[in-house]
Amino acid sequence: MATIIARPESRTGHREQLDLASVAHGRIMLVLLIFVAISTVMAGKMVWMGVAAATQAERSISPIPVPHRADIVDRNGVPLARDIDGYAIAVRRDRLLGDPRELAEKLHGIFPDQTVGHFYKLLTSGGQWNYLRTRALPREVAAVNALGEVGIEFPREPERLYPQRTMAAHLIGFVNRDGHGAMGVERAFNDRLVDLNMRGQPLQLSMDSRVQAALEDELIYGMEDQKAKGAVGLVLDSRTGEVIAMASLPTFNPNRIDPIPSPPPVVGKDGKLYPGKITCDMSPRCNRVVQARYELGSTFKPLSFAAAMDAGIIVSMAKRYDATAPLQVGGFSIRDDHPLGRWLNVPEALLHSSNIVTARIADEMGQKPLEKAYRSMEFDRPATIELREQAGTLFPGKWYRTTIMTTAYGHGIAVTPMHLASAYAALVNGGVWHPATVIKRKPGEKIEARRIFSEETSARMRQLLRMIVQTGTGRNADAVGYRVGGKTGTAEKPKDGGYARRSLVSTFASAFPMEDPRYVVVVMMDEPQGSSRTPGVRTAAYTAAPVVKSFVARAGPLLGVFPEANRDIDISELKPLVEGDKESE
Amino acid sequence: MSGNDEGITLIDGGAPRPGKLGQLEMALSPLRPRPRKPLPRERTALAIWFWEIDRVLLGLIIVLIAIGLVAVAAASPVAAAKLSSAENTLAPLYYFYRQLMWIALGLPIMIVVSMLPRVQARRLAIALSIVFGLFLLLVPVIGTNVNGATRWLGAGMFRFQPSEFLKPVFVVSIAWLLSMRARDPSLPVISLTAMLTGIVALLLMRQPDFGQTVIFCACWAALLLIGGASMRIMTTVGLSALSLFVLMYLFYENGRERIDAFLFPVKDAIEGPDQVQLAHATITHGGLMGVGPGGGSAKFNLPEAHTDYIFSVIGEEFGLIACVAIAMVYLAIVVRVLLRLLDEEDSFVILASAGLAIEMGLQAIINMGVNIHIFPSKGMTLPFISYGGSSMIALCGGVGLLLAFTRRNPYMSRSPYGMTWSGR
Repeated sequence: MATIIARPESRTGHREQLDLASVAHGRIMLVLLIFVAISTVMAGKMVWMGVAAATQAERSISPIPVPHRADIVDRNGVPLARDIDGYAIAVRRDRLLGDPRELAEKLHGIFPDQTVGHFYKLLTSGGQWNYLRTRALPREVAAVNALGEVGIEFPREPERLYPQRTMAAHLIGFVNRDGHGAMGVERAFNDRLVDLNMRGQPLQLSMDSRVQAALEDELIYGMEDQKAKGAVGLVLDSRTGEVIAMASLPTFNPNRIDPIPSPPPVVGKDGKLYPGKITCDMSPRCNRVVQARYELGSTFKPLSFAAAMDAGIIVSMAKRYDATAPLQVGGFSIRDDHPLGRWLNVPEALLHSSNIVTARIADEMGQKPLEKAYRSMEFDRPATIELREQAGTLFPGKWYRTTIMTTAYGHGIAVTPMHLASAYAALVNGGVWHPATVIKRKPGEKIEARRIFSEETSARMRQLLRMIVQTGTGRNADAVGYRVGGKTGTAEKPKDGGYARRSLVSTFASAFPMEDPRYVVVVMMDEPQGSSRTPGVRTAAYTAAPVVKSFVARAGPLLGVFPEANRDIDISELKPLVEGDKESE
Repeated sequence: MSGNDEGITLIDGGAPRPGKLGQLEMALSPLRPRPRKPLPRERTALAIWFWEIDRVLLGLIIVLIAIGLVAVAAASPVAAAKLSSAENTLAPLYYFYRQLMWIALGLPIMIVVSMLPRVQARRLAIALSIVFGLFLLLVPVIGTNVNGATRWLGAGMFRFQPSEFLKPVFVVSIAWLLSMRARDPSLPVISLTAMLTGIVALLLMRQPDFGQTVIFCACWAALLLIGGASMRIMTTVGLSALSLFVLMYLFYENGRERIDAFLFPVKDAIEGPDQVQLAHATITHGGLMGVGPGGGSAKFNLPEAHTDYIFSVIGEEFGLIACVAIAMVYLAIVVRVLLRLLDEEDSFVILASAGLAIEMGLQAIINMGVNIHIFPSKGMTLPFISYGGSSMIALCGGVGLLLAFTRRNPYMSRSPYGMTWSGR
C-alpha cells in the first residue's frame, strides 16, 4: 500500500530515470535470452561432438585399416599371423607411489610365470621407463590397473598375433621386437609384408592348416610314444613343389619368444674359449626340415636305383645280384640289416633294402651318373625354398669307390629332409624336379621344371615304392585304400668320427596315391626309442612308417584322396619276381 | 544504501519497500518459525557484508575457481613439459602451484573490493580505468613482446597485461558515463563512450589482440543496448561493426589468416594439424565421459594447454558432459546477475553489474566457442579456469566490483527474481 502511495511521487520526480530503468529491464531480458540461446547452441554442439566422437571411434574400427604388416593366411584363407593393437604394461619409475617390493609381489600374483625378483628389478632399476610385460591380455591389464598404481601405464602397441599358436611355428616364424621378421615366412618375406602397396593384401601360403594340424598331431603322438628327441614332417605337392605341411618338433609358441640359452663355450685349437654353436638339439626354434642335415640312409636307394636305370645299368628288373655275403671294399664291410644270404633281383633288393646289392649296382654305375643325379637333385647346395634358415649339405668332395657305394644307400652324404622330399617328388611325378615353395601357386602359374629322371624310370619307381609298402619294409605305412608307396631309411648318427649304434635317424619317404602320386610325405624321427607296441625297435619300419600310415589315413580325405579298395597302381609285371618269396619279417 | 554524491536519486530512499513488510510478515508467520537472529547480532562490518552480499554469485565464482584448479592441475604437466629443457626441468604441477598463489592473491582482492561501498567502488574503478588506460597507452612504447604480440608491461614476476585489468574497470566507467543520461539526456555520453572505446580498440588492435577488442566493443554495445539507446543507434552500431569486420578481414593480416583457417580448414596440411584441429582432437578424445583425471594423452600435443585451450583438456579428461556443466555455470552466473537486476532501479548499478557479468560471460563464450570450433581461434582465457596471474587478479577485482554493486540488504528490497527459494 505504501508503494502505491509512493509511486506517483517518484514518477513525477524522476521520470527520465524510471523510464531508463524500465527500458533497461526489458533489454536485460533480451540480453539474457541471447546468452541462454548461445549457451544452448554451445551445449548442443558439445554433446554432439561427444556423440560424434564415440560413433567415429566405432566406425574407425569397422573398415579394417591397412595393417603395419600384412596378414599371413594359409591356402584356404585361415589366418596364421595378423597385426593387432595389443597392450603393453610399462612402469614410469619416477611416478611410482607404492612400495616396489609389495608391487612386485602383486605383479607376480598376476603373472606367476615371472618371479618377484624379476619384477622388483624392473621396478627399481634400469631406465626411467621399463616394460613390465608386452602382449598383455585385457584381463591382465585390468588386474594390473586394479592395483591402482599411477606409475604403471598401458600403452597400446601394434603386436603380431599368431592365432594358431604353435601350429606351423617354424614355417611362419615370428617378428622380433623391432618389427622385423626374424624367422620363417616372416623373415623370408619381410619386405613383401611391410611393403606399403602390398600389406593390405594377406600373404597366402601353400600350407593347408588342416593337413598341418593332422601332421603335427601324428608327429607329436609318435614322438611321445617313441620317446624320440625330435621329429620332422613334410608334405609336398609333387606337381607344383608347394609345401602343404611342414612340421619340426619340438616346437615353440611364436606369440611368446623366449631367449635361447647360450651354449657352453668350446675350447678352440689355440686353447682359448669360443662361444659354442647353437645346434638343433638346443633350440626348439630350429626348423629341422631345412636347418638340420641328416644321413638319411636307405631312403636314398630308390634315388640311386633310378639313377642306375637312367644310366642304363639296370636294364632288367629280373637281373640278380649276389647278396650272399657282406661286401668287402677297401677295408670296409658293407652288410645287410636283414641278410637273406642269397642272390636278389632288383625289386627284392629294394623290398629288403639290401645295402650289398645297392653297393654293387653303384659300383657298376660309377661316379659320374650317381654324382650327376645327386647334383641334379641339388644335394650339393642348400635346399631351394624361400626360407632363410638353411643348412648346407654334406656332399662328397672326393669320390672314392667306397664313397660311390655308401652314398648310394645314403651314407657319407647328408642332406635336409627338404632335399629328400623334393627329390622324391621328382622321382614319382614323372621325373620332373620343381623348386619347393611355401607360397601358394596361382592357377596356371608357370612352374620352373627340370627333368632329372625319365618317364619310364619314374613309372617303374612308382611300382617299386608301392611294392615296398605292400610287401617290403614299409608295410607299417600301408594306410588301407590310400595306395601309399615309400621307402624306409634308418641311419646311425655320426658321432666322434664314427657312428653311434643306438642314436638312429629313422625316416620314411613316401608318396600317395601311387597310381598318380600327388603328395609326397616325409616323416623322420630323431633318435626314437621304440614305440609302445614294439618296444626297443628303432628302425624306420616301426617308428616313422606307422606315423605316415595314420597321417595319410587322416589327411588323405582333406587332400581329396579317398580310400578305394579296387584302385591301385598296376604291379602285375613285377609281382612274379618276388612271388613266393616268404618274408622274413 | 548509502547516498549518491552524483545527484542521482535512488528509489530506495523514497518509500517503504515491500521488504520491510516482508520482514514483519515473516516474523509473525506461525508456519515458518524464523530463526531467533534474523539479522546478525554482532554488527561487525564482516557480518553485515556477508549478510548483504550475493552469496549465490560468490558461491558460483568459488565453484569456478575450484574447477579451474582441477583443470590447471590437468593441464600443468603439458605446459611444464613444453617449457622444460634438459638442464632446467619444471615440476609437472608447477603451474598448479603458481595458480594457487594467484588465487591466494586474487581472492582477498575480491573480498576487499566487494566490501567497498558502492560509491567508493565506483570511484576506485574510474580511477583505475584512467591508470590502466594510461598503461595501455604505454604498451606500444615500453611493452614486452611475447609470441609476436606486445601486450605486456614490466618484466619477470612483475609482468602484467594492462588490457586484462582495464577490462572490468573500463566497463564500470562506461556504465557510469552512460548512466549520466538518466540525469541529463542531453549529455553526449554515447559519442563520448564510443570515442573512448574506439581509442582502446585501436590500441588493442595494435598489439594485436583481436579477442580483447571484440570483448571491449561488445561490452560497450551491450551497455548501449541496456542503457536504452534507440533502435537507430543500435542499427548504426551493428552495421559499423559488420563493416569493421569486413575491413579487418581485408586489411588485417593476422585476423584474415585465422578466419580463413576457420572457414576453409585445410585437411592434412603439410605443417601438420593446426591448433584448431589439435584442440578438436583433444576435446573429443575423451568422448562424453572423458578418459579420467591425468589420463589424457592428446593434450600433450596442444599449444597453450593451460590457458587458451584448457577447455579442451577438460573435455579430454572429464568428458564433454563436464564441458557442458562448466558452460552452464557461466550461464548461471550471467543469469543470476541479470535476473537480480530486474528489480534494480539504479541505472548505474544496472549498467555496471550487467556490463561486468556480460564481459565475463562473453569472454567465456568466446573461449569455449574457439575450443569447440564455432569461432575462429583467438587468444582468450577462460575466466577463473585458465592459468594466468593478470587474468586471475583482474577477474577477482571485477567480481569484487560486481559483488560490491549488487550488495543489498535482503530485507530492504525483496526481489521476486533473484532470491533463494527458502524465501529469505
